[in-house]
Amino acid sequence: MGCIILNHVEKRYGKDKQSAVQDFNLEIKDGEFLVMVGPSGCGKSTTLRMIAGLENISSGEIYIGDRLVNHLPSKDRDIAMVFQNYALYPNMNVYENIAFGLRMRKLPKHEIDMAVKKAARTLEIENFLERKPRQLSGGQRQRVALGRAIVRNPSVFLMDEPLSNLDAKLRVQMRTEIIKLHKQLGVTTVYVTHDQVEAMTMGDRIVVMKDGIVQQVDTPKRIYSSPKNMFVAGFMGAPPINLVEGKLLETSRGTLEFHTRKFSLAIPENQSRVLIDKRKVNRNVMLGIRSEHVHLDPAMQEAHPHSQVPGIHKLSEFMGADLYLYAEIGASNLMTARSGIELGSQENEKVILTLDMRKALFFDLESGDNLLHNDERVEG
Amino acid sequence: MKTTSAFRLSGLWRRKAKPFRLTPTEKISAVLLVFLSIFMLAPLVYIFNNALKPYQELFNYPPTLWVRSPSLQNFIELWAITKNSAIPMSRYIFNSVFVAVATVVLVTGVSAMCAYPISKHKFPGHKIVFGSILVTLLFAPETVAIPRYLVVSNLGVMDTYFGHLLPMVAVPVGVFLMKQFIDQLPDELLDAAKIDGAREFTIFLKVVIPICMPAVATISIIAFQDAWGNTETSALFMQDETMKTFPFFISTLTSNMANNVARQGAAAAAALFMFLPNLIIFLLFQSKVITTMAHSGIK
Repeated sequence: MGCIILNHVEKRYGKDKQSAVQDFNLEIKDGEFLVMVGPSGCGKSTTLRMIAGLENISSGEIYIGDRLVNHLPSKDRDIAMVFQNYALYPNMNVYENIAFGLRMRKLPKHEIDMAVKKAARTLEIENFLERKPRQLSGGQRQRVALGRAIVRNPSVFLMDEPLSNLDAKLRVQMRTEIIKLHKQLGVTTVYVTHDQVEAMTMGDRIVVMKDGIVQQVDTPKRIYSSPKNMFVAGFMGAPPINLVEGKLLETSRGTLEFHTRKFSLAIPENQSRVLIDKRKVNRNVMLGIRSEHVHLDPAMQEAHPHSQVPGIHKLSEFMGADLYLYAEIGASNLMTARSGIELGSQENEKVILTLDMRKALFFDLESGDNLLHNDERVEG
Repeated sequence: MKTTSAFRLSGLWRRKAKPFRLTPTEKISAVLLVFLSIFMLAPLVYIFNNALKPYQELFNYPPTLWVRSPSLQNFIELWAITKNSAIPMSRYIFNSVFVAVATVVLVTGVSAMCAYPISKHKFPGHKIVFGSILVTLLFAPETVAIPRYLVVSNLGVMDTYFGHLLPMVAVPVGVFLMKQFIDQLPDELLDAAKIDGAREFTIFLKVVIPICMPAVATISIIAFQDAWGNTETSALFMQDETMKTFPFFISTLTSNMANNVARQGAAAAAALFMFLPNLIIFLLFQSKVITTMAHSGIK
């Protein structure tokens, strides 16, 4: 069984200092691919190292399978870890690197040989077995590091930013290979990254962390479409979500309107109801809308006359399939629109942005909480 | 590998394209280095030649650098000195070789075992421990000769090989070099070994030491030179003539008869004999010293 349970896990450095990880509660299911993501210093690597047994736990409990592992040394936790800088033993060749863990476990020679060759075949590194790590490219080294992990057949893989040292193209390639490997082996994997693209593409579930506190645990889809707070909304997604501050006003029809000095946007009925229930009428809130829900299409303008924002075309970025348009909609406030169509405007010309208000998010200004977020549907 | 070969190729190409073109600074430093190396090499050449000079040539005036009619007469004379004494020359040589080799093994082992926890385990007070090791660098050997004598005599290891080895084992420079080197090892490497199931001592032996071979080589050279040329332990702690070392024996040959003509040939041969092992050890290890393995293969 490769499930992992973290129960009120805390990490404090020193006596009075702030916790690096606060009250971490999570159940990772057997065979799950869990990605922990967050800015640097958010505690994701510390959490991983606590699971690995490389870092002591200040309080709480960690279970791997059905064993409490709080005081178990790393080698007895039945885990394997892949590091950002590969951490290959430079004095040993590839074969010895992969075999090291098995030798430490005093396995018979022929078993070691078989296991190493099998792992090498899986990762297509059979031809480099005699080479030293310094004779390999970055991608090959990362494969060896993966080989060292899979050869022991552990019940949990821990990966600490394993792709961060690779160039962009290789990173994408290795990403798919790691996913493939996970599907093939079905081993519970905890993967730490600061790259939100990796998190979105790889994880069955994502844990978003900030300042040692778990912000949200959910599937990539829900993290993206229904972030729990402003931080998660801003951290996940590229280009970042558009945020505009404004006031919620009630209309004569009983719905709400998002009002700023320059424009007003009609809020659909069901969203209005939730916001009214939360007593946010006449209060200032932050509107969040993803760039793909900001349209430049004239047809959309006609269909949604009450969801329009006037702006000035400031900059556009050609991304291949997409085009990002940055429009100034207030003093030093840019809104990004993602469009697949040809632009009808030039720089510094006026543009009309149409917002798909059904996809709009509203955040509390003080707490940053997503006011439309439905907690009941959150797992974990 | 690819990058280094590419780099080498580009270097070759450059050399072919611009034969012998040096910038003025490079020219000046090349000339200076040539002079410096002649200056440094001259005594070594002199030692070699002196050892091979027969007596009449040794006392020629003006002295010559190169030997005219080389002979092994000096070596034979050196060997013959102990012919009539109870202790043969080979005993002194054996003592020296044994003490030197044992010192090298002990010093590298102790330095590495001391440096590893200071560098990677950060136990409470590790800075104080390291600081106090560095402070011992400030003391000249003469100042600690008396306490050292007391330690050795109270331990009851006078006239034993321990008496030779113990005072030589603690080498602060060795600890310092080793610590600086181990500091460069990424912690992940040790973490990886821990997860792979290695115990602390296995990590030290199988991962840390092999990667730190350049530092081990450097410390070996230092330790060997210290031990091989050392007369102090023989003079202070060894009353028994059979426990004394070769350099001490040689110092008794030359110091008593500084202005004497007798045995000058033997002394010249002994000087060469003392110098050769240092040279060999240095040649053996110097490539290791230059190799910096720590970063290759990791990043």
